[in-house]
This record gives sequence, C-alpha cells and structure tokens, in this order.
Amino acid sequence: MWLPFLGLLLGLSLGLLTDMQIPAVYENYLSIAVLAALDTLFGGIRAHLQQVYDDKVFISGFFFNIILAAGLAFLGVHLGVDLYLAAIFAFGVRLFQNIAVIRRILITKWEERHIKKDENTV
Amino acid sequence: MKKPLHLKSGKFKRKQLIILIVCIATGFMIGYSFKLTQNQQKATDPYWNQEDSYREELIEQQERNKELAEEYYSLQNKMREYEKTFAENEEEYEHLIEEAERLRLVLGYLPAQGEGIRVTLKDNEYNPNSTNPNDYIVHEFHVLSVINELKISGAEAISINGHRLKSNSYIRCNGPVITVDGKQYPAPFVIEAVGNSETLVSSLKITGGVFDQLLNDRIVVTLEERNLINMPTINDEIVS
Repeated sequence: MWLPFLGLLLGLSLGLLTDMQIPAVYENYLSIAVLAALDTLFGGIRAHLQQVYDDKVFISGFFFNIILAAGLAFLGVHLGVDLYLAAIFAFGVRLFQNIAVIRRILITKWEERHIKKDENTV
Repeated sequence: MKKPLHLKSGKFKRKQLIILIVCIATGFMIGYSFKLTQNQQKATDPYWNQEDSYREELIEQQERNKELAEEYYSLQNKMREYEKTFAENEEEYEHLIEEAERLRLVLGYLPAQGEGIRVTLKDNEYNPNSTNPNDYIVHEFHVLSVINELKISGAEAISINGHRLKSNSYIRCNGPVITVDGKQYPAPFVIEAVGNSETLVSSLKITGGVFDQLLNDRIVVTLEERNLINMPTINDEIVS
C-alpha cells in the first residue's frame, strides 16, 4: 500500500532535482500531461476499489491519455484553436467524477465496517 | 531464489511495478512542472530587475537634469552680473569715446567747428629807411610762436591760410613765403584757432608775450574773435 506513495515521492524529488530546460512553448503540454496522469491515477484507484482493475487498461490509459492530450494541445496550437481546453475540461470532469466515486466507495466501506463493529459489540 | 519468488508472486509484482512506474512518472511530471513554474517566476524576475534599473536610470537622469538646470540658472545669474558690470563699463566707454573724439579733433581727423580766434599776420608796409627787408616781413618763427602760444593755451584746432595743422606739421622759411607741410603760403598769414577765444586772446596779449613781440618786430597783427570757425580735416587736404 505504501509503494505508490513511495513512487510518488521518488518521482517528485526526481522532478524537483532535474535541471532540464524545455522551451516555454511546451509547458502547456506538460500541464496537460500532468492532468492526464492524475486522471489515470485516480481512475486506477477507482477501478481498484471497484474490483475492475486491469493492468493493461491502466498502463495503456496512462500513456495513451498523456499522448492524446499532448497531441490535442499540439494540434490546437497549430490550428489556432485552444484545443487543450477540451483536454483540460475532459480530464478535469473525469478527475472530479473519479474522486467522487472513490469517496462514495470509501464512505460505504467505512459504514459497512462500522456496522460490523456494532454487530460485534452487540 | 529470486526466480521462484518472481514466479510465485509474478502477477502481484507486475501490478506493483506498473503502479510504481505510473506513480513515479506522475510524481516526476508534477515535480517537474512545479519546478518549471518556479523557474518561470524567476525568469520574470529579470524583467522586474530591468524595469528597476531603468527606473533608477531615469531617476539618475532626472537628478542630472536638475543639477544641470541649477548650473544653468547660476550661469545665467553670472551672465546678468557681467551684463550689469558691462553696462557700468559702457559709461566708461562713453567717456573714452568722448576722449577719443577730443583726441581726434586735436589730431585733425575731424572737422573742427566752434568759437575761436583769427590772427592775421601781415608784412609791414615798405619802409624806405630800412635796408633790411627782414625787419618788417613776417618770418616763419613769428608764425611758429603764435601757433605754439595757441597750442599751449588750449586751441583744439589750428589752421594757417586754411591749411589744417597736424601734430607733426612743419613750418619752414622759404624766402618770401613759408612752407607748411610742403605747401607754400605767402603773406598775409591767417591763423585760425578753435578754442576758448577769451583764453586764447588773453594768452596772446599777455604782457611781454607773443603779441608784444610781433608788434616789436613791426608786423601788422589783427586779432578777431569769432563765434564760428569752420575748419577742414587734414584728410580733406590730403584728398585735395
């Protein structure tokens, strides 16, 4: 259970320590990629809680979402249409939905456990 | 030992590995974009610094402007002072100009005009008793003495028979005539002088003076005071 957090921390420190410079034009892509990654992460957590988790779906979704979001942003920049807004919107909505679902599941679990506890005590 | 473990919990390990990779990737992206944003803020800082430096430069320039303006005012004041002293000097200049005018008059560069006297020296009438005609004709030294006396008594301009005398004029005896600056003039000699006629007359008529001397030499002298005597400049004579 602590492994994901460890990975997250490792990644964070790696990112903070990296002294790589990228052109300012690509910063938009990075922010969208971050959003896509977060969306996939929370989607994975939700799937895990709903017992529908699949490795392939998770890993392919992670990379495919990032690439798709970056490509959309790239296309938007070259077409003069702010297409990255579509990606931000889609991922943002899904992020909230996923988090809401996770919350409900956790609440249900907690209640179930509480009820069990009550039954045991009674 | 490793292999069996891997085989035994292969599915679990793979799942964990994938989650680890994804978490690392996400964390890296988040961290990197966080750092990037910070860098961006730093990157905007130079603009601020630049603006600051420009502002400081502007202030410096304004201060310099102020200094220069003060200098300008002080210089202007100085100039006004100079002008004042110049105005004072101008009066002196006027005096100098008057002086120069007077000196020019004396030198004969200006036509003289004003009250003065006219002295006429004439040869005496032929005297048969006298054997020497020199005894009764006008000599150049008579003319000279008259002129010297006039000059001493402050005559501004003197002319002989209409010839204005310069400061370096010469009078020479040349037989029956006298030569003044290379021109010959016969008797009678009309000496005109511009100046205070009273002074001139009294100086000529002083006892034992020029007048007496002339009379003693039996020369016919007439002296008349005139209110207005016009005298040409020496330049006129040079031209003519």
